[in-house]
Amino acid sequence: MSEKNNKLIVTKIKEGTVIDRIPPGKALKILEVLGIDANYPYTVALAMRVSSEVMSLKDVVKIKGKALNQSETQKLSFIAPTATVNIIENYNVKEKIHLKIPEHVEDFISCLNPNCISNTHEPIVSSFDVISKEPLILRCVYCDRLIEQKYLDRTF
Amino acid sequence: MIPQHLFSVRKISRDFFQEIFTLASSIEENPIVYADKCNGKLLATLFFEPSTRTRLSFESAMLRLGGKILGFTSAKTSSAVKGESIADTIRMINHYAHIAVIRHYIEGIGQIAEKFATIPFVSGGTGTQEHPTQALLDLYTIQKEFKNIDGLKVGVMGDLLYGRTIPSLLFSLAKYNNVEINLISPPALNLRKNITLRLQEMNCEYSTFENIREIVDELDVLYVTRIQKERFPDPTDYERLKGIYQIKPDDIKNAKENMIILHPLPRVDEIDYEIDKLKHSRYFEQAQNGVWVRMALILKYLEIG
Repeated sequence: MSEKNNKLIVTKIKEGTVIDRIPPGKALKILEVLGIDANYPYTVALAMRVSSEVMSLKDVVKIKGKALNQSETQKLSFIAPTATVNIIENYNVKEKIHLKIPEHVEDFISCLNPNCISNTHEPIVSSFDVISKEPLILRCVYCDRLIEQKYLDRTF
Repeated sequence: MIPQHLFSVRKISRDFFQEIFTLASSIEENPIVYADKCNGKLLATLFFEPSTRTRLSFESAMLRLGGKILGFTSAKTSSAVKGESIADTIRMINHYAHIAVIRHYIEGIGQIAEKFATIPFVSGGTGTQEHPTQALLDLYTIQKEFKNIDGLKVGVMGDLLYGRTIPSLLFSLAKYNNVEINLISPPALNLRKNITLRLQEMNCEYSTFENIREIVDELDVLYVTRIQKERFPDPTDYERLKGIYQIKPDDIKNAKENMIILHPLPRVDEIDYEIDKLKHSRYFEQAQNGVWVRMALILKYLEIG
């Protein structure tokens, strides 16, 4: 990945996923929730705070050898709702995934209430209803507490 | 329609409230008729947090119905100290009793009960979330006094942020028509956002005040709650706020003749002892009503007529 004549040059990947238009600064968090760390065996390209006509600044991630599943795209919809996800096969875009915040989300976001049963060792997973998408507000199915967009990052 | 377990008054209808009140009233009038109704039945009282009234009134209720009780009064004397989950405790109690009351500081155990309980589980207070049976006895007391809850003007004062009786009381009042709700608290102890949102969803409107004197002359019911030391993450916040909302006789000198003062108890210093002597005080009768209401609730849940 390099910059030439003010244009960002990123090598194409043969198979994998390109996540574009990520809100600036969120790329590392995305890699984290996708479980991509130093031990990931294939090429990962990451660009942070590059200029964008649409968003002024954006992050971009290219991950070789990985196609996102539904659960992973659901996670992305909360962290980077503006992002576009392209599944690449043979250097071409095989599928364009439009992120959509679901009505309900389980086992990914943690409740901010330390006394919520979902933060204990009970045999359950965290569970939230999305009661508003704009602004984003989640309601814990267990303790009823709300999580607003501005606090969401603390829960991943 | 009665929910399988009772952890939120939002899950019960106004009709169910009335069924409980009718039965509680009948029990209060003639308790001897009900003295053997629960022969052979066991109530488990699982109190992971301290309690005086809730536990004792549930136990009194079951004993007065001819049933028996078992349980513990502190997490320290249960296997919770060994790290046992609530789910496992519930699965065990399923085989030890016919109905159970559980009090816990952990919030959301209603969903655990729904998943793992095969006997009825009733909340005896769940963290700061709800205290549904307290609301039942609160409204029973109000109905006894005024015959009708519709159209009353109710003031709710004190710790609206941490008090678990408050959400249950407000959700219950929201089921009645034209009840005017007035919330009186310092801004730091206002209702949590999730509660205001629930009230909004129930089309329940309310007014807010910082001083009881602004509204006391209009009220039919003044419901006072304790500023709860144990719920404050920072003890200095408690020290700053305690005692600000203390009712003295002078504060209610303009109150209506028939205005009643309720309190879920225990009180610390939010109601002056001088108030006890006034015609307005009803908090001890309210606590007594807890026995009749809980007897009615046990009978309903055990499907005993």
